[in-house]
Amino acid sequence: MDVVIGEARERLLAKAKKEGLATVGYDVLGSPLGPLWVAIGPRGVTTIHYGDEPSDSELQRLVRVYGPGVVPDHRRSSALARELDQYFNGLRREFDIAVDLSGLTPFQTKILAATAKIPFGAVSTYGAVAKRAGNARASRAAGGALNQNPIPIVVPCHRVVGSNGSLVGYAGGLDVKRKLLAIEGADVARRH
Amino acid sequence: MQNDPLTFGQLLERHERELFAYALRLSGQRADAEDLYQDTFLAAFRSWPPPRRGNERAWLYKIATNRAIDRERRAKRIVANVDDLALAAPERDDVTLADLAGAIETLPAGQRAAFVLRKVQGLAYGEVAAALDCTEEAARARVSEALKKVKAAVA
Repeated sequence: MDVVIGEARERLLAKAKKEGLATVGYDVLGSPLGPLWVAIGPRGVTTIHYGDEPSDSELQRLVRVYGPGVVPDHRRSSALARELDQYFNGLRREFDIAVDLSGLTPFQTKILAATAKIPFGAVSTYGAVAKRAGNARASRAAGGALNQNPIPIVVPCHRVVGSNGSLVGYAGGLDVKRKLLAIEGADVARRH
Repeated sequence: MQNDPLTFGQLLERHERELFAYALRLSGQRADAEDLYQDTFLAAFRSWPPPRRGNERAWLYKIATNRAIDRERRAKRIVANVDDLALAAPERDDVTLADLAGAIETLPAGQRAAFVLRKVQGLAYGEVAAALDCTEEAARARVSEALKKVKAAVA
């Protein structure tokens, strides 16, 4: 029955895509950090969520930007899956895949753009990221924006730590942040 | 109760198995069931959002039922394939699937839909009525009439 439905679903979604009804494709990828719910829109990766189901607020952002045509789609996620796999296996230091931050506030976008510039293996502080985004005094707000980062790992908010070197927080949990920094061999004491 | 679906994907993941099984039971053929499943969800996507909050299940059944009846009117016949039906319905009592498939097949489209919705899919009469766009009383009458015919056919 599952195979039968799977085949029927493939055909249905191909038709929906052809009609322009399906705008964003999602998938659940396995990773050393547990399942990741990922979504790809017409301009690139829109979401990486720790867990196998997105939060309502993440879905609401996608619907606000791209409408309700958010559908399961394994094919669309294959490039991201490959890059993540290489990253987790130490074979990739930078992501080539396009990211799409549509639907975020200008401040969030600036903070995430500044975060994207922190190189592999380096760390920066909330204050430094806020400064790079144009408001040195907004380190607390920068923390909030990073906590809402819709594309963790690829937009490396795990590379942002407290001014005293403490990990502070991470939407995926501090263990995950620690693991990501370990994959990169990052020295938290040496800040970017 | 679950929240209203925000996306096509949520609607699909919540209801596709049930709707596919319904399509299979209604049509008896895998190829027809696939067409009906596809037509139903495409129609739902095109007319998004679901009109009644929290009641998308009845909405999908209604679309599927109307499409099945339209198709039958056009095709004028539906041939039940027992193997395909077996995918959807476990054998019950001492009535074989072949008997049941044959009996369901002989019902007029509206009665067949009512029978399958109530007796196979297990919908409440209120939901059957919503899917068939009729009163609950009419839904009961259709199921009862269908049941009489199916019992007579498998007796």
